[in-house]
Amino acid sequence: MIDVTFLLLLYFMVTTVLAKPEDRLSPTLQIQRDSSTSSASDFEPQIVEVMRIDGEPGYRLGATVLRSKSALTTALRGLPKAPGVFINVHGGVDVAYAVAAVQAARDAGFEQVTYVPAN
Amino acid sequence: MKFVTARERSRTLHIEITPMIDVVFLLIIFFMTTAQFARMTRAELALPVEPGEQEQAPEEAGLVINLTDAGEIIVADRTLNLAELEQLVRQEIQLHSDRPARQLKLLIRADKNAESARLNEIVRLLQGLDVGHARLATEVPR
Repeated sequence: MIDVTFLLLLYFMVTTVLAKPEDRLSPTLQIQRDSSTSSASDFEPQIVEVMRIDGEPGYRLGATVLRSKSALTTALRGLPKAPGVFINVHGGVDVAYAVAAVQAARDAGFEQVTYVPAN
Repeated sequence: MKFVTARERSRTLHIEITPMIDVVFLLIIFFMTTAQFARMTRAELALPVEPGEQEQAPEEAGLVINLTDAGEIIVADRTLNLAELEQLVRQEIQLHSDRPARQLKLLIRADKNAESARLNEIVRLLQGLDVGHARLATEVPR
């Protein structure tokens, strides 16, 4: 009985320790603003579109199409950080691409990262 | 009658087995409970493999919303539809009425192969309830 007890203890200790480590990303969620309050003086947000481009998932930053997270990170590093960045996620891609875009923005040094679900 | 002589007594190592078994059982119960609780709040998912923000300070997870690759929304081992999820989030907001909805602690654990459209539905639901932040869980690459 003692042997069985020790085996059980070992089993539960090992399965607890082997749980995959997790971390988090904390984008803000865009809150709907009344369009009547917008004005010409509002700054243009920098937008990363996460979508299918020519049948493959990718990222669009302005007119530039990027296919990898590392390319996106490099492109975002050259942008001003103060206005922040919007990650506009369209349907038809896996969640992995959306999360990678948020991670790329963080890696590029953006503090203000907003997740925007596309219409 | 067999008497234990002083010499035999000094050679015998006497271990108290009973309290050791008690401690071992308590440890087993602890690890079982921890594993069971973790399994209840965190479904088995293939999270996106990203390093995350690597914040050192541990933070309360709050409400954990799991999104499977099949598009199912699972909270505390229950599969919910969007209406039920909305009701649950409203309850959570009411429960933490000491702080505004914008500061509600939420963790979204979405499978990396889940449809982004489904995640967008959840995010739109949260936006509609004025929730300002949601954390996205990632699996730290080894």
